[in-house]
Amino acid sequence: MEKMNLNKHISGQFNAELEDIRNRVLAMGGLVERQLEQSLDALTSLDAELAQQVIDGDHRVNGMEVSIDEECTRIIAKRQPAASDLRMIIAISKTIADLERIGDACVRIAKAALEKRVNTQQPLLVSIESMGRHATRMLHSTLDALARMDAEQAIELHKEDAKLDKEYESIIRQLMTYMMEDPRSIPGVLDVLWAARAVERVGDRCKNICEYVIYYVKGKDVRHTTYEDMEKDL
Amino acid sequence: MISIDSSAMQTEAVDLVNLPEQDTALEIRNLDLRYGEKQALFDVSMKIPKKKVTAFIGPSGCGKSTLLRCINRMNDLVDTCKINGEILLHGQNIYDKNVDVASLRRNVGMVFQRPNPFPKSIYENVVYGLRLQGVNNRRELDEAAERSLRGAAIWDEVKDRLHDNAFGLSGGQQQRLVIARAIAIEPEVLLLDEPTSALDPISTLTIEELITDLKEQYTVVIVTHNMQQAARVSDQTAFMYMGELVEYADTNTIFTTPKKRKTEDYITGRYG
Repeated sequence: MEKMNLNKHISGQFNAELEDIRNRVLAMGGLVERQLEQSLDALTSLDAELAQQVIDGDHRVNGMEVSIDEECTRIIAKRQPAASDLRMIIAISKTIADLERIGDACVRIAKAALEKRVNTQQPLLVSIESMGRHATRMLHSTLDALARMDAEQAIELHKEDAKLDKEYESIIRQLMTYMMEDPRSIPGVLDVLWAARAVERVGDRCKNICEYVIYYVKGKDVRHTTYEDMEKDL
Repeated sequence: MISIDSSAMQTEAVDLVNLPEQDTALEIRNLDLRYGEKQALFDVSMKIPKKKVTAFIGPSGCGKSTLLRCINRMNDLVDTCKINGEILLHGQNIYDKNVDVASLRRNVGMVFQRPNPFPKSIYENVVYGLRLQGVNNRRELDEAAERSLRGAAIWDEVKDRLHDNAFGLSGGQQQRLVIARAIAIEPEVLLLDEPTSALDPISTLTIEELITDLKEQYTVVIVTHNMQQAARVSDQTAFMYMGELVEYADTNTIFTTPKKRKTEDYITGRYG
């Protein structure tokens, strides 16, 4: 962050506001990360109490999104940020939307844990657990890249999403086999499928956040570009 | 079906380096300027496109007003001022010996920070330049007065009191009157030196709106301390620092992704 020179504004108050909003995004990220971990724990250990805790905790994530968004609006109105300051506010405003959606994914995973049908699909839960750990690591590193505003790390993580997509595909194949072998397993398999889908979406959201980090640091909008183009551009 | 017109949202960025001759209003080449021992401008080169608004921004004393004044040779009035380099208007260097300064200033009008109407009627203020040129035909003067006052977006406010003293107008109206006076003689280039710094926010917005209209017919060059104003009204922005042109690019680029660190620090309000 030193290299971006965040705290060198002539207006000390503006510094404090930017620093504050950045800290709040990181706090929100930390909360979402814990929600994701706990929802996966709840699913793999079929811990209904923990699952309920995750579901109940989602309103805090939502509340943080709203209050950070308000603060972004206030800063834009009061300070008319430009260049890197403006890019930071925009990046933050978008990041929190994606974090909130990751929060929703956690709720979806937790709800799957509450479904009694999942019980019969224990072996499936093992593969979703491994995918879930992968997504958690990705979220953790994404938040790390966000905290340090590290575009290089963000580019690396951007590639990581493809691996998660592969894992998702292999789980789908596995699930289809189960359904074909025993149609009675379909309700339970579907629950796992929705959970797997939610985990896969976490990867997509992380990828989005990485794009905002790259936008903030490099000033280049890399959404909807191929990885090759992105590397060439930066 | 709803069609979305993106032109209002985004102006096409002009290639300022390879600007074709026919789109160039002014070209500044390797301009150095000294006030006695002190050098105020260092090797400034830039092309100012036709019928666009170009803003000069930078901290106090960076040379932006000096550069603006060079464009209609206002610096000639300063004895110690020495200039090297060229400013080309229609391919001719305005500092050539055979250039008539009065005719240059007819082509390049200027408006200053504080409104400076003459102690005359509104009407006489506007037609002053034409009278100097020897125009005395009443109809011609009336037409020019109305056209200019309309052009400066002040006609409706003054049409019933054209023969009142100009000092009776508010600051914002006076500034628009001065702009009307500048465009009455139909210059090609209009130089505005902090035209709104002495005005209230509403008058400022009126002038900004006017600047956007003016570029239909004129090339506008504006010096402003208000960065957001530069962001709002200009098509390209030049950032100057300590007499050097640090960065010159289309305004969208300067205010979202400037290339130079100094520009970034200045427009985000950081220590240089």
